[in-house]
Amino acid sequence: MKLRKLLEKAEALLVPKERKRKAQKKNLKHVLKKLRQQEKSLLKRLETEPSKSKSAKIKEQAALAHAQRQKGLQALQSLQQPSPD
Amino acid sequence: MTRKLFLPSIFIILAYGFWISPDFKEIAAGVAIFLFGMLALEEGFKAFTGGVLEKLLRQTTNKLWKSLCFGVVSTSVMQSSSLVSVITISFLSAGLISLTAGVGIIFGANLGTTTGAWLLAGFGLKIDIAAYAMPMLVFGIILVFQKARHLKGYGCILSGLGALFLGIHFMKEGFESFKGSFDLAAYAVSGYPGVLLFALIGVIATVVMQSSHATLVLIITALAAQQITYENALGLAIGANIGTTITAIIGSLSANVDGRRLAGAHLIFNAVTAAVAIGFIYQLTGAVDTISGWVGIASDNYTLKLAVFHSIFNGLGIVLMLPMLTPMVRLLQRVIKPRTRTAAEARYLNSANIGLPDTAVEAVRKETLRLYDNASEVIAEGLSLHLPDILSASSIEDTVARSRKPVSLDMNERYESNVKQLYGKIVEFISNSHSTMSPSQSDELFALRAAGRDIIESIKDTKHLHKNLSRYLTSENENIRQEYDQIRANLANVLRQLDAVRRQGHDSAAILSLDSIKIAMKQYDRDLEVRLSALMRDRLISAPMSISLMNDSGYAYGVTKNLVKMGEVLFSTGESQLREVERSVSLDEGELEELLPKPVISTARRTDETP
Repeated sequence: MKLRKLLEKAEALLVPKERKRKAQKKNLKHVLKKLRQQEKSLLKRLETEPSKSKSAKIKEQAALAHAQRQKGLQALQSLQQPSPD
Repeated sequence: MTRKLFLPSIFIILAYGFWISPDFKEIAAGVAIFLFGMLALEEGFKAFTGGVLEKLLRQTTNKLWKSLCFGVVSTSVMQSSSLVSVITISFLSAGLISLTAGVGIIFGANLGTTTGAWLLAGFGLKIDIAAYAMPMLVFGIILVFQKARHLKGYGCILSGLGALFLGIHFMKEGFESFKGSFDLAAYAVSGYPGVLLFALIGVIATVVMQSSHATLVLIITALAAQQITYENALGLAIGANIGTTITAIIGSLSANVDGRRLAGAHLIFNAVTAAVAIGFIYQLTGAVDTISGWVGIASDNYTLKLAVFHSIFNGLGIVLMLPMLTPMVRLLQRVIKPRTRTAAEARYLNSANIGLPDTAVEAVRKETLRLYDNASEVIAEGLSLHLPDILSASSIEDTVARSRKPVSLDMNERYESNVKQLYGKIVEFISNSHSTMSPSQSDELFALRAAGRDIIESIKDTKHLHKNLSRYLTSENENIRQEYDQIRANLANVLRQLDAVRRQGHDSAAILSLDSIKIAMKQYDRDLEVRLSALMRDRLISAPMSISLMNDSGYAYGVTKNLVKMGEVLFSTGESQLREVERSVSLDEGELEELLPKPVISTARRTDETP
């Protein structure tokens, strides 16, 4: 293992704030993955849905998953940089 | 009456014993200090049950051999089968493990208790353990006075071990000096009558001391001081094993059906093992001699031979009973049946869970889910619908259109009997249990309590809604009927969507889909405003009707909002950090508004138009 990675691991282990940030990042990635999967499956369903009212409903759900994912991505970006203190 | 006389009789016998013999006083004090040590040890280990033990138990009970190993290892480490039993009963009553896994743990715990005999016979009698006890007590008590929970836990464990050692020392000393003045061995009874008589004494001693471990220590110290014969010591050890089940049975009387089944399994296991051990006592002692010879135990080292016997005897029980485990569990399920419960009775809240934070949180979650089940039935009937129809695959609109007959329902009575009482029990349980919890566990409990309050609020709103809804369900004015049908359909949809999210479990995306209900709710509210103005302008509904509709749409909004809030807490079952992240991704009011389609100026839905 490279020294930098080793130091990162040690930091995550020893600094509680850093540990919390890493855990948040991991959980956020998990949630984003689920949201991406959901959005994809909704868009796939939309292609084959004959009913107009149902299509509108699916579209709404896909838009919601997309908006949540955008919000999550922004949160992830701010978590990517370690806090200055 | 017998129970009332029991305690004074014990006091009188002990006081008389202390008066005639100072040595007896020393032995009894040794037992008392030993028992105090066990209590401290249990308390210490409970400080670490806020997650670690529960997680371990959850992961190690998916296979029978794992349950067995967990029973052996945890009892060996904690030196207390009763703590392991309490945790097992708590897990069973909270529905976290199966009865088979619970029985496996109890079987393992029986074998685990034998390590106590080994430790005492192997080391306790050979070294001056009192010399270790003193510093342990001093350091332990200093730690007990610390604020941090884990330090307190270590303190309890350390002082508990110190008290155990000190108790053993007093018992040892007591028996040594007893030997000079009085020879108990003169009362030895040989042969089968002796085994049976001393087994009975072992049962009584264990029931009185509430600990087979203490009985065993007493037997070993007495045996080391040659105050009892080896043969009688074997009888006492068998009796101690039966006695411990009686303590478990007394403890399980207040437990739920699974706790009673577990105590039943414990009794069957120990009774069968004891019967076999008594029946084949001479063959077993022969086996003990052979095994002792193999491992180099001297033929006159009776204390270690007793430890060998104890292990063989309990190991034999496992070998005999393990193949019978599944039929035994089936038998217990057939014989010990659950009481018929009312909807208001708590099913998972057991006082044994109070000391185990994670289990207590899980029990509250399961009970709040039951509260939701009761409440959703009342809400469905308040809408003049039936819950199974709502949760079926058929179209909600069709279901609403079909259900034209108002369901006669005393909402107050249903609320009082099915919901309020159960919520009261949940709140009471939370108040009793949150003192032993970490801040995050307390937060979780408070969130669950708030979820329960949301359920109550949604029922209250349905109650207000029910009156007009029943009236307009059969109204001759089709416009108002359609509006109320829309409210019914919306709320039925909310119940269906919540059920779908609940069934998908801890899938993060499923929980986040609850935001779509909020959007639909806002959309409906905005559309209604437009429709209501048009309906009034065209005089399609009367002014009182429009006021009713405005009020009732507000109640429907309240029901939806509260149910969604409840669902976000109750149906999200992942780790607390994951739930926190889910909440952060969930959209706020402003973001939800942005997703709403742009308002379309529409006219009122008239009876002659297609809806």
